[in-house]
Amino acid sequence: MAPLLEPALLRRLEALALQVRRAVSGQMGGERRSNRRGQSVEFADYRNYTPGDDFRLIDWNAYARLDRFMLRLFVAEEELPLSLFVDLSGSMDWGKPNKADTARQLAGAIAYVALAALDRVRLTVFAEGETSGGAPSRGRRAAATLFSRLQSFPAGGVTNYEKLVWPIGRQRPGMTVLITDGLGESPLDPALTALQRAHQEGAVLQLLAPQEITPDWSGDARLRDAETGVEREFTATPLTQGSYVKALAQRTDEIERAAHRRGLRFARLSTSEPIDEMVQITLRRIGLLS
Amino acid sequence: MTVLAPLAAVLALTLPAIVALYFLKIRRPTRVVPALHLWPSQIRDRQANVPWQRLRPSWLLFLQLLAAAALVAAAVQPVLPAGASLARHSIVLLDASASMQATDVTPSRLGEAKRQVNAVIDQLGPSDRMTVIAVGPASRIIASVTGDRDALHRAVNGITPSNGAADLSSALALAAGLVRSGDDARAYLFSDGIVQPLRSSFAAGLPFPVEYHRVGVSGENVGLTSLTVRTSAQTRAAYLHLQNFGQQVRSVSLEWRADGHLLDVRPLTLPPGQGQDLVLPVPSDATSVTARLAAGDIFAVDDTATAVARTPRAFKVLLVTPGNVFLEQALRLRSDFQLDVIGPAAYHASSAYAMTVFDRFAPPLLPDGPFLIVDPPAGSSLAGGPAVGIGRVRAVDAGDPLLANADLQDVHVARSEDLRASTFGRPLISSLQTPLVLVRDEPFRQVLIGFDLHESDLPLRIAFPILMQNLSEWMLPPSVPSHSFHPAEPVTIVPEPGATSVSVIRPDGSRRTLATGAIASFAETDPTGLYTVEQVIAGQVQRSWFSVNLFSDSISQLKPPDRLTLPPTRAVASQATHRGQLEIWPWIALAALAVITAEWLAFHRGL
Repeated sequence: MAPLLEPALLRRLEALALQVRRAVSGQMGGERRSNRRGQSVEFADYRNYTPGDDFRLIDWNAYARLDRFMLRLFVAEEELPLSLFVDLSGSMDWGKPNKADTARQLAGAIAYVALAALDRVRLTVFAEGETSGGAPSRGRRAAATLFSRLQSFPAGGVTNYEKLVWPIGRQRPGMTVLITDGLGESPLDPALTALQRAHQEGAVLQLLAPQEITPDWSGDARLRDAETGVEREFTATPLTQGSYVKALAQRTDEIERAAHRRGLRFARLSTSEPIDEMVQITLRRIGLLS
Repeated sequence: MTVLAPLAAVLALTLPAIVALYFLKIRRPTRVVPALHLWPSQIRDRQANVPWQRLRPSWLLFLQLLAAAALVAAAVQPVLPAGASLARHSIVLLDASASMQATDVTPSRLGEAKRQVNAVIDQLGPSDRMTVIAVGPASRIIASVTGDRDALHRAVNGITPSNGAADLSSALALAAGLVRSGDDARAYLFSDGIVQPLRSSFAAGLPFPVEYHRVGVSGENVGLTSLTVRTSAQTRAAYLHLQNFGQQVRSVSLEWRADGHLLDVRPLTLPPGQGQDLVLPVPSDATSVTARLAAGDIFAVDDTATAVARTPRAFKVLLVTPGNVFLEQALRLRSDFQLDVIGPAAYHASSAYAMTVFDRFAPPLLPDGPFLIVDPPAGSSLAGGPAVGIGRVRAVDAGDPLLANADLQDVHVARSEDLRASTFGRPLISSLQTPLVLVRDEPFRQVLIGFDLHESDLPLRIAFPILMQNLSEWMLPPSVPSHSFHPAEPVTIVPEPGATSVSVIRPDGSRRTLATGAIASFAETDPTGLYTVEQVIAGQVQRSWFSVNLFSDSISQLKPPDRLTLPPTRAVASQATHRGQLEIWPWIALAALAVITAEWLAFHRGL
């Protein structure tokens, strides 16, 4: 099996980091500022000593001036919990380059950036529901396992965003990235609302194939839905193609507006873009990576 | 309504074929799309290759059937009965004479006549034929027995007006020549009725009826009808006559120019039907004078008159006679003749004389130029047979211009040479016994009179000086003609001895080159104005002039007659006419085009 990401790309990804707007607390130590106090070199505050405190933290200079025991507090550095929700429904298994393949690579790239920064990564592949939550991964060494897991999930099934509400809602505050084409018939709004309620700093990455952004065919056809298998006769003319492009643009705009309303980042990506450019340019532009 | 191409109705089979195509079902390739719900519900049958499906009502089907039905209707070429009654062979006589340039109808009488003729052409049936004859000073056939409407339209629209009079007689003669006995023919004359009187030969009638379609309404016109320059001992003056032919008082402004330079402008008021004579000054060095009426009336051709103001160039003429006072006096009437009179013994050939007159004498070698010889003595090459007794004389052709105004009623000849066997030329004056006067054009204009003038009372008649004037002007036209020519009237041009080139410059500046060495008849005189004749003699350019003006009261009066006397119709075997036909397929085809356009729009709007 071909590697999910090229080693050269992985080396470039190590220079990046997930950018969070506010400090979050993780379960284990890491390299990211937490809203807790802990051990680091960054001074945070003083407080009075109370029995039971670690007396190694007493500031003896303060004691000399004030004749009181004062404790020096430092900012804790902890991990960032990152959840990746990757849409591998039937509609993602389409296009050239394939949307599902690109989604796997994109998810892998973001996960690698987080793992390299000692953040905790939880991968969830979904279609009709939560297909695989899986155990959280941490550390650069877990990347290979995570990549092979990503590649092992086949694409298929009907998209149902409503079933994402529960797994999103039970997460600890952190960062969630949702990679989908946004084309399922069920509305995306409940999942986005759940992200907001779970105090997630999130991003919605809409991934489309160039052939569905601009249809490259015309004439008579029997259209078959990639997810449901439903068929319908259709005659493609410049006018009807225009109607489709308009409907797609409207759907994309709805998702973008819904994301921005909830303080989430949004980017529309085409599978024709190389992964490197998606990560280095688009994701940096929307402030997901730095 | 009738149809011209009923077989084309077979094309109506396309209608059920179109419907059948809608019964057929399309075999559509399957395409997987990520989100079917984003695609609009647009289905249209563009190809039919699988039987069958239920016929769905469709705007496209309706419009396609309508377009096909309209195309089939156009293909069968339906025709509606039209107003005019047409014969199988319609002969259109379209007046293109000067008076048809009048603008009392828009755009002009000729334009209106063309419009009417084009309407008749549109009504021709498939088996109908039409001949179009343009009636002018020289009538001509411009489309001969054809049913090709495009060619007929082109021919009619290409007719340009002449400044000459309409010679209806020659046009009718042309038409009669095209109709065979028993033909179903009918002539249509589109004219203002201002035509030259018909020749008497048409009294017997024509083998087809002639319908007169009058064009034009008004006779309100002021025109110049005469302009001559007279030279007296002291001065030269021009005499101009202008006439109000209308029924209203007209105020006009007269411009008087010499060689294009304005000399005078006179305001004039003319009562209805009245004329006015004016005497106008002519500068001594002027070549031509021009009068122009700034009348702004409906007819422009008679608003300008031009006259040559130069004095004629003198010709040297030799009279060789034992003595003939009548002949000598008659020749001296030509003011531009310098006459030398000598006896036969003194005669020797000389190229210094433009014309020679021999009286009872014939030299062994006749001069190479115009000459008149009277009673050539026996033994000469031109002498006739023994003298025969003659009584009254008569004109061979009373209409011959050489006999214009010469009354031969009371002329008698006692004796004349017998010229019946003469090959000199055509007879001009004849008798019961023998031709008396012969004329010929080639190689030069020459006249042979077969009797001694002293043995006739001709010299005592007023006809004699007139006849001599006519003959001398015919043989040797004056360098400045004594009168203005009418448009399209042939002008005789006599090359000077030794002329290496002769050309005529017309009023529009165009140049026509004539052959040298022989008398030429120049007939391209349709435009009015001043014509210049240039002759190059030994490297020197010698110019003479003549003018062409309308000067015709009958044309300038312009009022179209209500009735026109036309030749009667001779009894013919059949005169079946039928109504004209108006083809409406172009409009149906246009409607089909509109429906096809609507169908195209409907298709692209997804109806």
